Amino acid sequence: MSSLLKTLSRVVPLLVAIAVIVIVWQLIVVIFKPHPSLLPSVVLPAQEFWHLLASGELLDHTSVSLARVFSAWLLAGSIAIPLGLAMGWSRRFENIVDPFVELFRPISPLAWIPLAILWFGIGETGKVFVVFVATFFPTLISTVAGVKRIDPVLIHAGQVLGCTSDAMLLRKVVFPAALPAIVVGLRISFGTGWAAIIAAELVAARSGLGYLIANGMEILRADKVVVGMAMIGILGVCFDAFFRFLSRRFAWGTT
Amino acid sequence: MSATQSKPISIRSITKTYQTQSGEPVEALKPTALEIGAGEFVVVVGPSGCGKSTLLNMLAGFGEPSSGEARVSDVRITGPDIDRGMVFQSYALFPWRDVIGNVEFGLEQKGIPKRGRREIALKYLHMVGLQDFANKEVDELSGGMKQRVAIARAFATEPSIIFMDEPFGALDALTRRFLQRELLHIWQEHKKTIVFVTHSVPEAIYLGDRIVVMTARPGRIKTIINVDLPHPRDATSDTFRDIERAIYAQLDAELAKSFALEGREIAVAAAD
Repeated sequence: MSSLLKTLSRVVPLLVAIAVIVIVWQLIVVIFKPHPSLLPSVVLPAQEFWHLLASGELLDHTSVSLARVFSAWLLAGSIAIPLGLAMGWSRRFENIVDPFVELFRPISPLAWIPLAILWFGIGETGKVFVVFVATFFPTLISTVAGVKRIDPVLIHAGQVLGCTSDAMLLRKVVFPAALPAIVVGLRISFGTGWAAIIAAELVAARSGLGYLIANGMEILRADKVVVGMAMIGILGVCFDAFFRFLSRRFAWGTT
Repeated sequence: MSATQSKPISIRSITKTYQTQSGEPVEALKPTALEIGAGEFVVVVGPSGCGKSTLLNMLAGFGEPSSGEARVSDVRITGPDIDRGMVFQSYALFPWRDVIGNVEFGLEQKGIPKRGRREIALKYLHMVGLQDFANKEVDELSGGMKQRVAIARAFATEPSIIFMDEPFGALDALTRRFLQRELLHIWQEHKKTIVFVTHSVPEAIYLGDRIVVMTARPGRIKTIINVDLPHPRDATSDTFRDIERAIYAQLDAELAKSFALEGREIAVAAAD
């Protein structure tokens, strides 16, 4: 019962916000009467949404974008998490690797798009590469911070309970102790990856939600653009909620 | 209960000197020598910063002595070992494991198969009266219960020595009293060698075969007091009180010194 109330208390403000956006939008359309190719009335994108949904086109674009983000995100995680554990664990290793991280981190993943196109063309590899760059650093930074925040007494406890090698300590104590921070990093990086894939698809793609938007612009169909944007927003909210739920399950040591 | 061998500890004039961040050496422990018998319960008391935790950490293998060495059954201590257990003031339970999972941790490292692990872990949870809490999450327990889990975890691997670093320091007086009694029972049954650090004098007298009184920083052994009273000891008895008075007399002198030292440091800092 209380969990239902909690869900309602999260969903209702969201619905109110959506209603306000729709009302303001429609007011602007009624008052300023912009050309429908610039800002259509609410009805047009809604119709287009159902149209694209029924034809399966919307789901195709969505699944293509999601597949790109997921594969790159998993790939980045599988490298960033072990690397982050090692950097957080060994000061000497961190001193070697950190300058590279510091140099590459401030470069926006979007700045890699031109090189990605030059190197990989407009196929899947280039997209995955851009999302990889976008998801790698948040995961890495979060993992390193998670390891450094571990109470040293837990490490000592692991040692007197038989974890004599670094490998054993990392697996049995350091990784689980840092897991809450790692999950937070994965959540944040999924968001940055989701933003990056849209940008990459805007520039060079023949499928994906970003392509749907770019294509809508080229053929002067603002309603299509809006459908793509709405889908990005809806999925973003859903995934963030899902990862929040996950991170509550791994919230030890944070209270 | 299987009777594992408890082992003696031989501390041979070990010292510890730290390097501060500005590179100045700080002497934490002056040359210290002590022989601890197998199965003996030794309590170390002293003012804060007297190096008693430093000493305990070196015995556990967390830091090399700057000079000298410590041996267990004539084997030099070079690092942490599952044969030397430890109970920490902040419990140090693993929050991602439930109660029994914590007790099983060391058993996993010893390579005991799953069924055997559960059985042993339950036996030790029973020992501390928490068998009904086996599947609770650690966060659901009170401080006293957490420390009982930590004690069960330390004994479950059947080490020959257990170090206890102010294990009851964060607990309220009544819980503390209860756990002291419980620990004595467990020790009498298992006869491990125990080195117990505290700054509570009554606690030291209640528990220890011998009490090692440390000096103020830099620490060294000021005096060693044998407590020959039979267990359970009555804290209101005359002999208990006499020993208490004697230890406080020793400690008061050290406290005065360490306060004077701190005062001087503050004065120096203010002058800078």
